[in-house]
Amino acid sequence: MLTKELAIYDIEGSQIKPDRLTQKKHERYVAYAEQMLRLYRDGIGKTRHELHSAIRQVFINEPDCSPQRIDAFCKLLDEDRICKFDTDRHGNAAALRCKIFGLAAGYHPLVQYKDRLFEHCEMEVKQTIAQKLGRPDWSEIEVELFADVFEFNRLKSFAGYDSAEALLSRYNVAQVQASLFNAKKIVLWARSDFQRIVTHAKLAHLLHEITPPPDNETNGEYKIVLDGPASVLRETRRYGVNLARFLPALLSCRDWRMTAEVKIQRIPRPFWLQLSSDSGLRSEMTPLEEFDSKVEKGFAMKWGQDKREGWSMKRAGGILQRKQTAFVPDFVFQHDDGRKVFLEIVGFWTPEYLRAKIEKLKLFDDEHIILAVAESVGEKLPTMSQEVILYKSALKLKDVLAALARESLRSAS
Amino acid sequence: MEAVPNNQALRFDKGTLLLESQPPPGLASYFKWDQRAEAWRCDALHYPEVEYALKETCPDYSVPIPHGIKVNWPCANLPPLRVDQESALQAWMKTRRGVLVMPTGTGKTEVALHIMHRLPVFTLVVSPVRDLMYQWHQRIQERLGYNAGIIGDNTFNKQPVSVTTYDSACIHMQNFGAEFELLIFDECHHLPGQVRSDAARMSVAPYRLGLTATPERSDGREAALDSLIGPIVFRYPLSEAKGRILADYEVKRLPVYLTPDEQAKYDRCSGVIRHFMSEQRKTHPNYSFVELRKEYAKSPEARQVLQAFYTKESIEDRAHEKMRVLEDLFRLHQGQRILVFTKTNMMAREVSARFLIPSLLHHCRKRERKDILDGFRNNRYAAIVANQVLDEGVDLPEAKVAVVLGGLASVKQAKQRLGRILRKRGEETAVLYEVVCNDTKEVERSRQRRRSDAYQGTRHLRH
Repeated sequence: MLTKELAIYDIEGSQIKPDRLTQKKHERYVAYAEQMLRLYRDGIGKTRHELHSAIRQVFINEPDCSPQRIDAFCKLLDEDRICKFDTDRHGNAAALRCKIFGLAAGYHPLVQYKDRLFEHCEMEVKQTIAQKLGRPDWSEIEVELFADVFEFNRLKSFAGYDSAEALLSRYNVAQVQASLFNAKKIVLWARSDFQRIVTHAKLAHLLHEITPPPDNETNGEYKIVLDGPASVLRETRRYGVNLARFLPALLSCRDWRMTAEVKIQRIPRPFWLQLSSDSGLRSEMTPLEEFDSKVEKGFAMKWGQDKREGWSMKRAGGILQRKQTAFVPDFVFQHDDGRKVFLEIVGFWTPEYLRAKIEKLKLFDDEHIILAVAESVGEKLPTMSQEVILYKSALKLKDVLAALARESLRSAS
Repeated sequence: MEAVPNNQALRFDKGTLLLESQPPPGLASYFKWDQRAEAWRCDALHYPEVEYALKETCPDYSVPIPHGIKVNWPCANLPPLRVDQESALQAWMKTRRGVLVMPTGTGKTEVALHIMHRLPVFTLVVSPVRDLMYQWHQRIQERLGYNAGIIGDNTFNKQPVSVTTYDSACIHMQNFGAEFELLIFDECHHLPGQVRSDAARMSVAPYRLGLTATPERSDGREAALDSLIGPIVFRYPLSEAKGRILADYEVKRLPVYLTPDEQAKYDRCSGVIRHFMSEQRKTHPNYSFVELRKEYAKSPEARQVLQAFYTKESIEDRAHEKMRVLEDLFRLHQGQRILVFTKTNMMAREVSARFLIPSLLHHCRKRERKDILDGFRNNRYAAIVANQVLDEGVDLPEAKVAVVLGGLASVKQAKQRLGRILRKRGEETAVLYEVVCNDTKEVERSRQRRRSDAYQGTRHLRH
């Protein structure tokens, strides 16, 4: 990720627009990106200082490029996951300095011209020290003296980006992230992928507040507010880093839009950063694997559109949430007399997974929930207090109807 | 350290407190209802009050956050305090929350170590930079025989008594804010930043000690220290300290001139800037650097102008003549410890490579720092060079000569830098040399610096 200082953005009214390189407006940048990647690929053994100076040269005649943008490119090229520098982890430079300053201490001060009082001439002393270290040339030592300093680290390897476009695309995402560092919260609207979005938000240590769509709205939007624990006490930017970290995961999800409230230094009024799954930003993150939904689909087809024994069925039709646990069971059944039962299908499972699931369901023990669990050859089903349907390859209508009748009449605790 | 059980009515959650029941009357304003957790939330900072109130209303209530386990100091090697230090300690012990304002060199670390000795609880010492963090580690080792944990500088070793930096404390306090009972904020004027305050807000610690020579901040946020640490309980004015505990000092300004080459380049840059500005002002009479900075992304010309500006700064910073003057000062003060301050890392490394004296910079790791500081202390090294790293509090005993090669004009920095060389030892007078380029902006900065009250009443010798 970039640092706060490298965030470039335009302000339009109360909107904040992170810097974005596009095919149309920044055609020349594809060639620049290629040059930059080449410089790094051919730059093994060079210092960061040399590499960054070379990158600066790439843009020397480009009218539309701020120094910040160049610094941002340098930062992205230097990113740990694609690039290794020799940071002198074993402390060779420090040891060398220690040795040399120790040797030189007896000659202090090193003067340019000797006189009777001060007889240690800079060049002579340095040559003497080089000899003592068994090195022919002082200038060679001087190069190594600060090899552990960030700017003087040497490039060891560069995996790079797949293409010039990949670098430019990474740049665009990184600029949005950099603006998010100053965000107080994100408000999101999502549909089918909302559970995945919430999962990713949790992984980024964010807290969520979910408002489901109104009951009568089919395919309505879930509203998700993301920020952190202290956000309820005061406006704080301390979770901006988490929000920025969450962004690539969000970009791998479908059908959402978001607004982030961003604070700009020394300006009291709030600014808004808007983005959606149609913004054209790409994430290098592969989407979370699709759940196996063959059983779900098959069952939905079998049930069809009609009511059965007074029950109507809806897929993923309701959200259950308690504190920071939210989940949407696969099916919700509503009886004409008002009874409501949820059905959750568990395909592949391990005892640990099942136990965690049951633990989660305990939070909702005032709701009617049925579990449909695939029969497993290897594992024995743990004992559960829930209504459970075992199935082999497909879920049978009569099993579900029987379970619905039993569960809906159980008095909820 | 054990995790706090989370099935309690009041619990620590990521730097805040969560209360399942109704907040105690009188403290309701601290709390906000948090739908997401289905509980009342408030800053961990309020823990002592909240805990007290809950105990009052509900006698069998007991939630020990923190747990109240005592620390055993392996040894106590504490020299007795001076009278003034003793009164600082007494003042703080009355409330166990508050700030001691004591100038550099009056031994505020000693006072803090005595406090730690009297109050042996789980303690976290927070300092602004890594150097100071290591220094605290060393002092705790020497005085109390305790090997404190280190949190920061790519290390995470948490112990019942630990040292850390503001940046690390701000990040991690949400995780371990329930574990420490005493927080010590060294150079605590660094605390009241918008995000940094979390280092104090996200902790339940009932005991809090702030140490500073200069509580004033240019943004006026020092008032926040009151709620984050406590009120100022002791103040030691610099004027009282001067000449009594601190040595007398004088400031000498040494002007240097640019070499003909440097001057020519400098003038060329000035020309570029002047020309551009006067052109702009024909159409925009109020055109300034603020506008220029806005334009530089879009205009190569504006970028050149800004580059010229940076080049000028760099010429000033690294003027060749400064090395010659420095050589003269080394000759003049042969046999005395000399501290050299530079404005940039680049210049510090240049000085270091030219004179082969150690440079104390950000990249120096623990062992090298120790070698440099110890070597300077026991006269193995006659001189060392540093940039702003050494601005604050880093212990460099009894240096009598300091040289500043350019620097920024701020009241705090001037005080801190002076404090560094003012340690009382014999009747020798300390000298601070400022080496500045003549006919450049550095001269103006030097004037500003001398206006600050730390310099008032000092002798200025013109050369």
